Amino acid sequence: MAGIFDFAPAIVLLPFLSFLIAVGTALSGRDLLPKGGAIPGIAATGGSLVLSVAMAAAVAGGEVYDETIYAWAAGAVPGSEGLELTFGVLIDPLSAMMLVIVTLIALLVHVFSLGYMNDDGQTGLPRYYAGLGLFTASMLGFVVADNLLMAFMFFELVGLCSYLLIGFHFREPGPPSAAKKAFLVTRFGDYFFLVGVVAVFATFGTAQFVGTESAPGFPVLAEQALHGEFTANTFLGLGPQAWFTVVGLLVLGGVIGKSAQFPLHTWLPDAMEGPTPVSALIHAATMVAAGVYLVARMYGFYAVSPTALGVIALVGGFTALFAGTMGVVKRELKQVLAYSTISQYGYMMLALGAGGYVAATFHLLTHAFFKALLFLGAGSVILAMHHNENMWDMGGLKDKMPVTYYSFLAGSLALAGIFPFAGFWSKDEILFETLVHGLGGSPLLLLGYAFGLLAVPVTAFYTFRMVYLTFHGEPRTEQAESPEPVRWNVKGPLAVLGVLATVAGAVNLAPVAVLTGAHVDFLHSWLDGGFSALTVHHYEEIDPYASAYLGGEVTTVLLGAAVSLGLALLGLGLAYRLYAVPEPVEHTDKLGSVKGLLYDNYYQDEYQVYLANRVVLPLARAADTFDQGVIDGAVNAVSSVSLFSGSRIRRIQTGVVSNYAALVTLGLTALLVVFGVLGGWLL
Amino acid sequence: MSDADSGSRPRLKLGGHLAPGLAAVALFGVLALVFLRASFGEAAGFEQGASITAAIGYAMFDIDAGAVPGESMLVAFEIIDLVLVAALAGAVMLARTGAGASVVTALTDGGRDSESATIADSVRELRDTLRGGEE
Amino acid sequence: MVPPQYYLVLAAAVFCIGVFGLLTRKNALLFLMSVELMLNAANINLVAFSYYWGNVTGQTFGLFTMALAAAEVAVGIGIILVLYRNFKDVDVTEAATMRW
Repeated sequence: MAGIFDFAPAIVLLPFLSFLIAVGTALSGRDLLPKGGAIPGIAATGGSLVLSVAMAAAVAGGEVYDETIYAWAAGAVPGSEGLELTFGVLIDPLSAMMLVIVTLIALLVHVFSLGYMNDDGQTGLPRYYAGLGLFTASMLGFVVADNLLMAFMFFELVGLCSYLLIGFHFREPGPPSAAKKAFLVTRFGDYFFLVGVVAVFATFGTAQFVGTESAPGFPVLAEQALHGEFTANTFLGLGPQAWFTVVGLLVLGGVIGKSAQFPLHTWLPDAMEGPTPVSALIHAATMVAAGVYLVARMYGFYAVSPTALGVIALVGGFTALFAGTMGVVKRELKQVLAYSTISQYGYMMLALGAGGYVAATFHLLTHAFFKALLFLGAGSVILAMHHNENMWDMGGLKDKMPVTYYSFLAGSLALAGIFPFAGFWSKDEILFETLVHGLGGSPLLLLGYAFGLLAVPVTAFYTFRMVYLTFHGEPRTEQAESPEPVRWNVKGPLAVLGVLATVAGAVNLAPVAVLTGAHVDFLHSWLDGGFSALTVHHYEEIDPYASAYLGGEVTTVLLGAAVSLGLALLGLGLAYRLYAVPEPVEHTDKLGSVKGLLYDNYYQDEYQVYLANRVVLPLARAADTFDQGVIDGAVNAVSSVSLFSGSRIRRIQTGVVSNYAALVTLGLTALLVVFGVLGGWLL
Repeated sequence: MSDADSGSRPRLKLGGHLAPGLAAVALFGVLALVFLRASFGEAAGFEQGASITAAIGYAMFDIDAGAVPGESMLVAFEIIDLVLVAALAGAVMLARTGAGASVVTALTDGGRDSESATIADSVRELRDTLRGGEE
Repeated sequence: MVPPQYYLVLAAAVFCIGVFGLLTRKNALLFLMSVELMLNAANINLVAFSYYWGNVTGQTFGLFTMALAAAEVAVGIGIILVLYRNFKDVDVTEAATMRW
């Protein structure tokens, strides 16, 4: 069957090809490609985007695709059926949607890089575009992965690429350190993920997300195991329910690391050391999105474990608020955006934990657009400001950079959740889902709802503090008075994303659907298609939540929307009062000691460094001592024994033939005697 | 010659250097013990008046005419021919003093040619250098 | 009729005299002679058992052994020449460099 899906691997391979081309160029050491290798990258991501859209169109037509491309290891385990480790492609509504997002953002980031990197005269461009290509390819491979192990491998590749790109300016002190931190912190989470992958294999004998009728994927098997239709191997003496929770939480470790959730969020603000287009890619479409996407991908597995869902919801809700408060006091433009990213992914985790699968996916979609927009806008500002990121040195850029300003404003309104921008719809749906499921007998979710609700005004406040400080008022430095003009390749992506950030909410107007009864919740219907085990209504059947309303569904919808919008406007208004003046001052000083606490990120870095120095380092030293002393000692002892005996025994080899002849003679005599006695013909 | 004083008669030289010979004596003891304890039947012997020498000749050239039974040795004969030639060639090769010396000089002067000796010295020098380089 | 045992013991004696020579002498030329003795001990056995079986093969083989001995001596003399050239002596205990 030669259909459009046969081209699915090309989506991944095209950016990989551009990576290879860029690496070849970099290795040749000559300027072989125009624009330092940007053209192949743009062509490849453009091609991937076209293919992704074609996939999405085919999925919209009701087709889905799940094929194993290549089995790279297969073996029989004694006492059980064989394991097969494969690469495969899974195209269903979720991955098709994600493919479009990733390829679109990657394309725009490539175009933007023309302005940000090439026009700015940066060096090492082939290396940069090689990193971008590989980054895109790994994320796309992760998105289409049809089993958990393949997902893990591409997950790791994404981490590697983030390391390479964050540390792009490796001659300065900051970026290499930030890159190492990002790598190590996410690797800490990935360690649990790896254990989780092995646990999934050991438990179910497969890591397929979907599988077939006869051999279903592990989410379905988990469900069957709970109904007693399938016997899963559980360990540690736990029952299926408890064991699945353990496995789910292990995998969640990787998610928390990659999606920068508390307490492994500390790498993300530092990752701002990378070039700004890379930050956009990391935050909007690739690295950080990977974690949330993974939970969504195997949502059927989490849905059967109320404990795991509860943990996800609480971690998400707490992170949303926690990160938001830290963003309030930051001086650098990108730092504020970094904390907003952590906070927004917290919302997505909250939604996933609260059973709002559609809401989380929706927020992933809208966030990808408006966060990419904000980062690219910030990149435009930074470019204009000659790489000065301090917001207190800006001001008054509104009139000089109108395209940047209006698109940035659209993104900010979306981020703050102001009606009718994209972020409003998705955030409102998250809070709504959390609220109704919380009211439906899960008081834990009400706590998560409270966190999420409190984060709304905080988000609006820091977002508009950023906008006012950057664009409004009087220019506070000479740079801000005469910013560098930016070209079409910066403005183009900004315009595209600005439009998307404004209207993307229209894909799922759930509140409108509730109010008017019109079927305008397109995303809901979209995600309800495809494999029956991966549909929304299936998830709703198996998740442990019930819904309850405050005086009817319509009332709850209106109330929830009004509250969150009101709080957002409150935060916005506060920011307007404090910072939308010609000469803003640092109000953060009024916070007193709290300012220091917030500014130092609640001393998160400090306690993690303390843990590393005081706990991990001695532990590693002890292990090293044990290794050097006991293990190596035993090995060395064995080798020294054989060395010593060898040095003695080799004296037999005198080099004198007479001695050899004597030995041969004696040996022959001894052999004759032995055989003679044994054979009975001697004596 | 100092040997002239002690006479040309060989003398038995006893001493500790004969100790390894005990191994040979022991081997002989074991062998003799085994052989003497073994029992053999009556020997078949050859026919009266049969020519053994002729039979060997016939056997060696695979001619079925001998009076005494035997196996054909034609192939072995050819192989030993080859072996002898190879041994001769090998001996000459070993006897050659160096790369420059011809077979003829090696055979005529017994390797005492001065030029050849120089080559042998240089080879030894080279070898010493190599050995020194390994240390 | 001489029983085969006597031949065997004679052969063993000749062989062991050869071995004795190998073990106690240092001169390479004497080594060659000792080896010759050992080979001829084998020849004695071949001839003895040729008579024992009434078959001429053993005697034929004895001839081959002699040819082989000739080849051995040719090579052996060559080796001794090389030995002398390298160590200025035919003492086999001098040539003890191929060891640890």
